[in-house]
Amino acid sequence: MVKIRAFVLLGTVALVCLLLLTLQMRGHIAGASDALAIVTTPVQSVLSRVNRATVGLWSTYRDWKNVRSENRRLREESQQLRVAALRVTETVEENRRLRRLLALKESMPLATLSGEVIAREWGGWVRSLTVNRGRGDRVLRLTAVIGPDGLIGRVVDVRPGASIVQVLTDPTSTVGGHAVRARTQGIVEGEPRGTMRFKYMARDGAGIQVGDLVVTSGAGGLFPRGIPIGRVRAIDDRGSALFHYAQLTPAVDFARIDEVLLIVGEGTHDVAALFPATAN
Amino acid sequence: MRTFIAVAIFGGGIAHATLGPALRIADVAPDIPLIVVVLLALRRGPEFGCGTGFLAGLLQDAASGGMLGVQALTKSLIGFAIGAVGGRLRVSQPLVQVPGLVLLTIIEGLARFALLKLFHFPAPFGELMAYVVLPQALYNGFLGAALVLALAWAEATRERVS
Repeated sequence: MVKIRAFVLLGTVALVCLLLLTLQMRGHIAGASDALAIVTTPVQSVLSRVNRATVGLWSTYRDWKNVRSENRRLREESQQLRVAALRVTETVEENRRLRRLLALKESMPLATLSGEVIAREWGGWVRSLTVNRGRGDRVLRLTAVIGPDGLIGRVVDVRPGASIVQVLTDPTSTVGGHAVRARTQGIVEGEPRGTMRFKYMARDGAGIQVGDLVVTSGAGGLFPRGIPIGRVRAIDDRGSALFHYAQLTPAVDFARIDEVLLIVGEGTHDVAALFPATAN
Repeated sequence: MRTFIAVAIFGGGIAHATLGPALRIADVAPDIPLIVVVLLALRRGPEFGCGTGFLAGLLQDAASGGMLGVQALTKSLIGFAIGAVGGRLRVSQPLVQVPGLVLLTIIEGLARFALLKLFHFPAPFGELMAYVVLPQALYNGFLGAALVLALAWAEATRERVS
């Protein structure tokens, strides 16, 4: 049950309010607003400051959150772009390699077959590449294998879908070569440590110098003449020994070769002009 | 408790003008003093509801630069009415709180409009209801319910701790 006192309070309040309104309409109590403003204005100022500080703190927090999420998004985007850039770089590099190989294939006076390296054997005992051309492509054993930079090796085993290519650094590899500038004949042999040496007759001085280019001699008819094998890196002078040796740096980076040409045609052409290394 | 009430009345009346805009959603601000008055009236009865309504409304009038006495009267009426009938309402249910506060806001709006009309207030009724009173009523309903739940949770936590 609502007490009478409450109704009295309500009546008083209503009366005061109506009085206030009436007086205001007649313009009599302008001072009342001013008096209340003395109380309300400072509180409003304080609250406004608190409000601004709180809103500022909140917006700082939101900015921080936004920056964080944006940072995460940008990191992901950056990673995706890096992967995409790597793919593009890889594609460009592959394109460049294939263009060089195609240019060599088209200018080669002998029939060739392009192949892709699908495996590598890089232990000290055997150094070979597996190429995706085999018996079905009419590849024969001892077929010469070249790249845009020079000689890679020869096919030593032909299988139904692939061929094994013995590279020049294989310890059992031997290729007839000659030093272009000194016109010295010799044999290029592979070494177990993955290097090559040029074994030559040294009587009366062969005149070989460091930096000389050694190319295939064409002797034996297995390899066309003039394919770069490597450059002389060091000369091993053995005094009065029957043979002298020169260490060679291979013309081809065997570890990085991905595409090759198999020379399937026969002939004794000199192909030295087709390789940039022979131009020097 | 007295400090709380003083802050609630004083803060509610003045905070509305200062902090209300910060709570705006699509240009609709809640009537914080009305919610405070209703909550206090429910707990403390009609006298308290009427008194807090008068004070909160008067401060709100003063803070907002409106005519002194309009909201003081409407809010004291609301405070009194809710204080008188509050005991019979199941106000702990959100299903009562939300529509209850919506209805109270509409009633307060209507009362304010009627009072102002007595003093030649020019705004059209339809627009005022559609763009001001009803959106604010909805906002008050949900904000008030959230406040009630928050208070109930705070009290339960305090009891558990003590």
